Amino acid sequence: MNLLKKIFFIDFIKGLSLTFKYNVSRTITMRYPDEEKWLPYQRFRGLHTLNRDSQGRELCVACELCAKVCPTQCITVIPMEDVGTDLKSVPRGISDRIAKVYEINLVRCLFCGFCEDACPTTAIRMGRDYELACFTLDCAIADKKKLLTPRDIPAEFEGGFVVKAKFIRNDEGIKVKPDLSKKKRWW
Amino acid sequence: MVVEDKFYNLIFAIFILQFREHDMEKLFFLTFAAIAVISALAVVSVRNPVHSAIALIVCLFQVAAVFILLRSPFLAAVQVFIYVGAVMVLFLFVIMMLDIKRAVITSFLPSGRFWIIALLLLLIGEIVFTLADSKLVDIQMAQASLDGTVMEIGKAMFSTYLLPFEIVSVILLVALMAAIVMGRKEIK
Amino acid sequence: MPDVNTLIEVALIIVKVVIVSMILFSLPLPLTWLERKIAGHIQLRLGPFRVGPHGVLQPLADMIKLMFKEDITPYKADKWLFRLSPIVAMVPAFAVYATIPFGNTVTVPFINKEISLHIADMNVGILYVLAIGGITVYGIMLGGWASNSKYALLGGIRASAQMVSYEIALTFSCVGVVMIANSLSLVDIVHTQKGAILGILPNWNIFYQPLGFIIFLIAALAETNRIPFDLPEDEGTLAAGYHVEYSGMRFAFFMLTEYLAMVTVSVLSVILFFGGWNSPPLVPETLNNLIPPIFWFIGKVAVFIYFFMWLRFTLPRYRYDQLMTIGWKILLPLSLLNILITGLLLI
Repeated sequence: MNLLKKIFFIDFIKGLSLTFKYNVSRTITMRYPDEEKWLPYQRFRGLHTLNRDSQGRELCVACELCAKVCPTQCITVIPMEDVGTDLKSVPRGISDRIAKVYEINLVRCLFCGFCEDACPTTAIRMGRDYELACFTLDCAIADKKKLLTPRDIPAEFEGGFVVKAKFIRNDEGIKVKPDLSKKKRWW
Repeated sequence: MVVEDKFYNLIFAIFILQFREHDMEKLFFLTFAAIAVISALAVVSVRNPVHSAIALIVCLFQVAAVFILLRSPFLAAVQVFIYVGAVMVLFLFVIMMLDIKRAVITSFLPSGRFWIIALLLLLIGEIVFTLADSKLVDIQMAQASLDGTVMEIGKAMFSTYLLPFEIVSVILLVALMAAIVMGRKEIK
Repeated sequence: MPDVNTLIEVALIIVKVVIVSMILFSLPLPLTWLERKIAGHIQLRLGPFRVGPHGVLQPLADMIKLMFKEDITPYKADKWLFRLSPIVAMVPAFAVYATIPFGNTVTVPFINKEISLHIADMNVGILYVLAIGGITVYGIMLGGWASNSKYALLGGIRASAQMVSYEIALTFSCVGVVMIANSLSLVDIVHTQKGAILGILPNWNIFYQPLGFIIFLIAALAETNRIPFDLPEDEGTLAAGYHVEYSGMRFAFFMLTEYLAMVTVSVLSVILFFGGWNSPPLVPETLNNLIPPIFWFIGKVAVFIYFFMWLRFTLPRYRYDQLMTIGWKILLPLSLLNILITGLLLI
């Protein structure tokens, strides 16, 4: 039996048929920047977001707790009175204090998530953006405007999918824009 | 007109073997023979053993080319196959294991250069004299065609020259066995 | 003045040589792409994908890269030999194609002349192919020796021992085919494989010489340094073997040689065992008239090339003593047995 196996190359043919099966089956490569993108789970700690409440008011009260707790001291918060310059304007924040400057130095940030834990108003949250590379050092500092803009992936969106994405290349840099409607599990 | 003809001849002689067959053959033969002799001289005069092995390969190749000119492609192919393809590979295999630096320094003509040269001249003289005396000079080149040489060689080998052929194979077998016996480690 | 017919003959030979060598020169480009694609898909990856659609332009990019890379000659290397050996390896790989018949005769429309699709029909064709094919090893050996590096030297030594061992089995496995065809010419060998056995099976040598074919295939794999026997360039133990010190175009020449050797082996196995350009018998007549024989030939060769690549990503590498055992203790006796059986059956 063993001899017959050797003469007719049984094991060899078995191996070849296995590799052939793999050859014609679907690949599992994620075509990341071109066509697909991985959306992480909600627990993912990516680029921070500053949130607003349901009426569109900024939740941040500039208590500076995040700046205090930050192990690398990468958060700079400068508070100001909310209705200061323009009396007619609707208050932007939920109380009478608001951040005049809110900057995160992304080069120093180690994405530990302590700021998230320290925040009393759930204003700062870790988002799910992980494409933080850029051509100049300007983008290494995330200012308030950048942090307040809503992201491609809303916080409620359950992660853990590979979605169709579009690869955009322009003067500002390179971006992969996900299309949340067509999602699939990666495995 | 004549000049023009010669001009065309020259151009086409480069490409066509059939044209002015004998001139062309002579030219080829002289080229091959010259390279063969030069490379054979290089085999014994070059210092580096690897280089002399390469020179020997070139020499054997030229001999194969001469075989083709003699209308026996089979012998040419066998020449390339056995000497260039197998024997010289083994030669190189051994030479590559040597310590080249020491081999380069060693002189291959230690002493008595005079006697060696004298012996060499004697041998050359002998060859020239025997060749001049023998009938080989008058014999025409065999007019065997390019086809069918393989079959003829096979037939000759297994009918006319059967005994030498068998003796050669027995000698080879003995040599093989001797090599195995010598190469075997002593078992106690 | 030479007559017009000779002129056309000469022109045809030159044109054939130029066409064949141009094709051979450009062949490694699609083959590298194909090999990487097959490697990728067998490993559930995609392979090259970014340069051009499905990465088809990747080999061009690689070629440009190799052309502009610095050509390094190692310190204390034998410079002359180091530069020469890639060419020594490459020339025989091309020279082999002088006798290989790609198809039956075709009539060229404009000059109305029958052309045979081979450069020369030598009556010792197969011997010539095997002899010249064996010379490639000099490039590998000398390249390995001239690099003045331990890895390269070991690769060269391995290559030489491997070549000598497997060339015997390779040649002996072809003897059976030669005995059936009663000729050493490759064209005659293909012509004897016309027709069908019992109306169904094609009259190919594989059905008469299954053992010979298996021996040929294994020995050919070893001769071309393809994967189960690629010990001269064993990445695991020798870094890159004989071409470890080469860079730029000289390295590319070695790669070119290797791919051409694979093509040569595929072509040879098609000619010797799979009927060359003959179509299988069950193909309907209309289809047969539609497809020129050379396409059958190319198709069969393509299947073999795929097979070799497929094999590469299936099998692990043998150990060196295993390689020698297979060569001398299994393949050589089996090939002798094959000759004996063929001889007995032919009587």
